[in-house]
Amino acid sequence: MEYIAEITHIKKQIDDFHLGPIDLRVEPGTITAIVGNNGSGKSTLLKLIMNLVNPDLGNVKLFGTLVYGEDESWKKHIAYQPQTVIGWDAFNGKTLKDFIASLYPDWDEDLFHNMVSTFQIPLNKKFNKLSQGMQQKLNLALTIPRNAPLLILDEPTSFMDIPSKKHLIDILVHWMDQGDRSIIFSSHQMEDIKKLSDYLFVLHNGNMIGNYEKDALLEKYKSYWIQNTTPLPNHTIPGEISRTDQQLISNQADRTEAFLMDEGMQWTKRTSLDLEDIVSLLLKPIETTNDEVT
Amino acid sequence: MELPIRLSQDSREPIYHQIEHQLKALIAGGNLRAGTSLPSIRSLSKDLEVSVITTRRAYQNLEAQGFIKTLQGKGTFVAEIEDSLKKQVKESTVRNTLERAVETALSYEYTASQVEELFQEIMNNHRKEKGD
Repeated sequence: MEYIAEITHIKKQIDDFHLGPIDLRVEPGTITAIVGNNGSGKSTLLKLIMNLVNPDLGNVKLFGTLVYGEDESWKKHIAYQPQTVIGWDAFNGKTLKDFIASLYPDWDEDLFHNMVSTFQIPLNKKFNKLSQGMQQKLNLALTIPRNAPLLILDEPTSFMDIPSKKHLIDILVHWMDQGDRSIIFSSHQMEDIKKLSDYLFVLHNGNMIGNYEKDALLEKYKSYWIQNTTPLPNHTIPGEISRTDQQLISNQADRTEAFLMDEGMQWTKRTSLDLEDIVSLLLKPIETTNDEVT
Repeated sequence: MELPIRLSQDSREPIYHQIEHQLKALIAGGNLRAGTSLPSIRSLSKDLEVSVITTRRAYQNLEAQGFIKTLQGKGTFVAEIEDSLKKQVKESTVRNTLERAVETALSYEYTASQVEELFQEIMNNHRKEKGD
């Protein structure tokens, strides 16, 4: 398998914040959402991928090339949108577009104009005179049309209004359909994550929790209501991550069900957890197993 | 076009299977005619909020069974299917729906004869509604 991005055992310390070790592979044609609590290291991870921050350990390969070498040809295959851009304040959208379009041979002028009209971006206003939401829209309109096979977006919709978020999802879906492309984006927006992502890469306080295929994650987490006639054993059962009275939450549904069936225990109802609940459980501070059952 | 597919995360049936079955039912029932253009895998994945891995699996199975065909660079379309296949899908769709209803009833501790009674009652109501 040719990976678009290969992050191997990367580690970085910034003051008293530790990131990693992190391993992540991105296949062509997929969308990966980087999900985590505030300060979990999402932006730092994206900067490490872009070689804007040097790792203490490990390495990053993009399109098979290490990002640290003399050879910087990988850069033209990537369009990266940082959360805040430096140096754009004094220029208007038109000037910025002319400058950026000249750097990218595959620049899609039609897509740029579509985005400008969809988002009603004023191109004659200086960047620092635009609202945060409008800056974000202009930033996206200057990033997506670069048509680089890897698009990296750092919280692309955090200031955007609801209809614009919806438009952006459609633009990105259409963009993905144009070829063998991939997106890595960090986000706290559940709607974007649900509608766009194939994989959820979960970070908690700098630690990699895992990289999960979205639907596999939904399949693993289930909630069970156990019949009153058959009380649950006092010890933690396979897959169990929490319980209240006769309700049990498992993150390994297959193992939990095998156990319950072996014990002759029945459940009256089995429901899935919402992706939002699953992410919250993944980002919950880790408890010691002794506290789980009292 | 947004396809009228409704997924149930709570069902025992895997998601790719649900997509596959519902698309088959739409095709066999004539809602989607031969030649109709289907959404791309990415676009359907967005609508259904599932990953492309799941949608691709459903499309691959449908293609292998001859319900849809993909034309390189043009997209995915509903294929021409045999009447016998249509009939088979209709029968299995109805059967599956009834089976699910029975399973639900049994999970609420209905007895087999209570389920039968209820079924008769529903059928009688239908007959009345259709016109005396």
